[in-house]
Amino acid sequence: MGYIKWAFILTFWVLFASFLHYTLPQHDIARITETDVRRIDPGENRWFWAQADIGSDGTLGNRDVFFISTVRDNGRVMVYRNEDTGWSWPPYFKFDTSNLQAEAADLRSTAANPQWVVIKHYGWRNEFFTIFPNAISVRPVDGPDVRIIPWINIVILTTLAALFWAVWVRWRRFRIARIDPVLEDVEEGFESVGDGIARRRSGFRRWLDSWKSK
Amino acid sequence: MFALARLLVIGFLVLSVVYICLSLYSRAVRRDKLEKEWDEEIQQGDRDAFVEAGLREYDGSLRRKLILGVYIVPLTVISVIIYLTNFH
Repeated sequence: MGYIKWAFILTFWVLFASFLHYTLPQHDIARITETDVRRIDPGENRWFWAQADIGSDGTLGNRDVFFISTVRDNGRVMVYRNEDTGWSWPPYFKFDTSNLQAEAADLRSTAANPQWVVIKHYGWRNEFFTIFPNAISVRPVDGPDVRIIPWINIVILTTLAALFWAVWVRWRRFRIARIDPVLEDVEEGFESVGDGIARRRSGFRRWLDSWKSK
Repeated sequence: MFALARLLVIGFLVLSVVYICLSLYSRAVRRDKLEKEWDEEIQQGDRDAFVEAGLREYDGSLRRKLILGVYIVPLTVISVIIYLTNFH
């Protein structure tokens, strides 16, 4: 029983942490090598794509999506999609996809003469599902060594932790005051009634047996 | 437009639930305070009338109107996010 309980608890928190890791903004330091447009047919991975730009027809099966290809400061490549999140989840309210693509194109550079940028994004790159993080904004920085303090994440995670703590404390207080005494009462009741039940059950059995065909 | 309508409708419903719960809770807290005040300090005249008068005063107070912040704060946050994401 203990194992099953912990498996549930662990699964819940892993899913919740994954959800936060996918949704909250992250910053990558990179240099943009290319900006382009590809036609995308979302299939099994459609959860990891946003919808068509705000105002355009969202019912069509496929569409063109902007992409920003980069090389990160650790030397590995990363490809970002660039899509409106619009009025939907996650709540970045991003409508300026085309503008962002223009800014990204303006900041393209080569390995010989790098222009480093900070790319704010959410989401995951996964080769097995062909999913890409969604770029939210780019801004040029002097070099790859800038220090970024994730204020938004600090605020959101602190608020969430406070919220969970407040709910947990109240639930614990409620349980100690209202539920535990009742359970103890029930347990004591069972113990004192136990013998009676055994006796009565034999009576019930006799009554059931009386319905059986002899 | 459908997505905006969905956001507004669902947001309005959720915030209304929060608003109603908060209003009821705040009024109950005020009632407890008034009853306690009467029990500990006044102890003369009609207790119910005193509490009712206090609650009527609360109904017209600024504190009660501040609960409307339940609607105003999220709208402001959304507006700020839209500005920072798209036009900053």
